[in-house]
Amino acid sequence: MILYTPLCETDVFPINEADYANYEYVSYEGKLLYVEKQADGSYQLIQLISTDPQDYLNKAYQPGTLLS
Amino acid sequence: MDKKKDQTKKNEEQQGNDSLVEKIKQLGQVNVPQAPDSNVHVLPIIGQVEGHIQLPPQNKTTKYEHILPQLIAVEQNPKIEGLIILLNTVGGDVEAGLALSEMIASISKPTVSIVLGGGHSIGVPIATSTNYSFIVPTATMTIHPIRLTGLVIGVPQTFEYLDKMQERVINFVVKHSNIKEEKFKDLMFARGNLTRDIGTNVIGEEAVKYGLIDEVGGVKEAMNKIYELIQQNSHDTEVKQ
Repeated sequence: MILYTPLCETDVFPINEADYANYEYVSYEGKLLYVEKQADGSYQLIQLISTDPQDYLNKAYQPGTLLS
Repeated sequence: MDKKKDQTKKNEEQQGNDSLVEKIKQLGQVNVPQAPDSNVHVLPIIGQVEGHIQLPPQNKTTKYEHILPQLIAVEQNPKIEGLIILLNTVGGDVEAGLALSEMIASISKPTVSIVLGGGHSIGVPIATSTNYSFIVPTATMTIHPIRLTGLVIGVPQTFEYLDKMQERVINFVVKHSNIKEEKFKDLMFARGNLTRDIGTNVIGEEAVKYGLIDEVGGVKEAMNKIYELIQQNSHDTEVKQ
């Protein structure tokens, strides 16, 4: 199906509000992290937000790390 | 007692293995190299530039409320001597993009941008806002008029509003790059380049030819340039003192 519309995709297909709930920005050890809440209540790191290139080499902030 | 110790040891091993597996899953490798502190910081602007409206989680976005404080931190931290902007964006919120561009343009430290993949739409002013800009040969930049999202109250008023907004983008780009206003407008309103749409898609070298970007190059060139600018900058401050 092709939809020709000037509307934004999200205006045509409303998004599930619950989708937002699992994703959060948290400050962890002074760094801003984008995390996804896991079923067991822990958080998995998705993205590190930092301008310091060395932070990206820090094992503690590798994507996929589980934060407790 | 020993059994307990064995158990904890096993658990630790298990955890070690788990994190190893996780690492391979996420990064495709086991170890990442370590290096000393860097005096050049990196600011990636990826996905959509997100402004006033929060996009659904499946979108990859760069939120300007995260970037603005980081830019202040870069300006304030004496250990940071330069900033590299990595751009791979499809565009996004015009006001947010312009805010970012103005912030980057007003930083006193040397800034260099690299356009990788794409620097479309509002990515164009962001790319030109740095002291020196690079584009990799395969990267593209789409220059097109501002499009509408949101509410239309009255057609003439909305048009006028959009026209003014566009004027701001054009002025910024013309001021911060070597492109002439006439040329930029020509590219913006060109027909036949984009199927059923107006605008132009410029690739790598073309962007340099039009004066939009300073040079074709990648990481190596950008790093050399930023070190050169840092040296110049420190020399200038020495002279002033």
